[in-house]
Amino acid sequence: MSQPTSRLNQRQREEAISQQQSAQNTLEFAAAEEMLRHDAGQIPVPPTVAERLQKSVASEPAPPKSWWRRLLKS
Amino acid sequence: MSALITETPVEPLPETSSPATSVQRAPLEPPELEAIYEEHSRPIFYLALRMLGDPTQAEDATHDVFLKAYRKLGEFKGNSSIRTWLYRITINHCQNLLQTWHRRNIHGTDDETFWERAVGPGDSPLRVLETKELGQRIQKSLDALPEGYRLLLLLVADEKLSYDEVGALTNQSSDAVRGKLHRARKTFAAAFHQTA
Repeated sequence: MSQPTSRLNQRQREEAISQQQSAQNTLEFAAAEEMLRHDAGQIPVPPTVAERLQKSVASEPAPPKSWWRRLLKS
Repeated sequence: MSALITETPVEPLPETSSPATSVQRAPLEPPELEAIYEEHSRPIFYLALRMLGDPTQAEDATHDVFLKAYRKLGEFKGNSSIRTWLYRITINHCQNLLQTWHRRNIHGTDDETFWERAVGPGDSPLRVLETKELGQRIQKSLDALPEGYRLLLLLVADEKLSYDEVGALTNQSSDAVRGKLHRARKTFAAAFHQTA
């Protein structure tokens, strides 16, 4: 007679653990932008972008002087 | 992992952010570019990713935006912050891409390796899956929004931008930003719930 009760308790324990885990895994956000902020925090820039940029800049001619420097020289 | 938007009141953004550097700048030197890239590449990449919806195209766009910045920093008059200036370049670049024949006809790849890189090396495959799943739901929800709402939410999500700056980037007043933001949040929340 004690076996079904024990099985029930076991199931209740498992359900409680499952609910607890589910609650722990649920992220709550006050607004859309908070969710986007969280999402942005998860996504780093792939390192290939910096490598490509470095190569592109190295092959660029020297950038033109700024408008105010040109003005001062004239 | 599931996600909920509870729509509790959100702390408003400051009316204005730290004042923009009003110093005219010399042409960008590579070490300076490196510092700018270090500070701003992450939000720029994220904006490109969520505007274009494709990691590979977002990588290309981020590269192109910083290369344009390198070429044009001499023209930057310091009337806005560097970040706002970079955002403007990014928005124009991505909007051009979205309108081109190339973009409409070449479908990007949902790059698995991108999502593997997006989490730390110690993270479990489950975590990779969770990050990817949430990202996909966010992307679907953003894609379901009118363009104005999508851009507004993406910009407001950057805490370094004030409502004034968001308004300047989206060609509207800061009051209009506030008004639309409320509707954009509701529309996004509804779209997000539909992705469950």
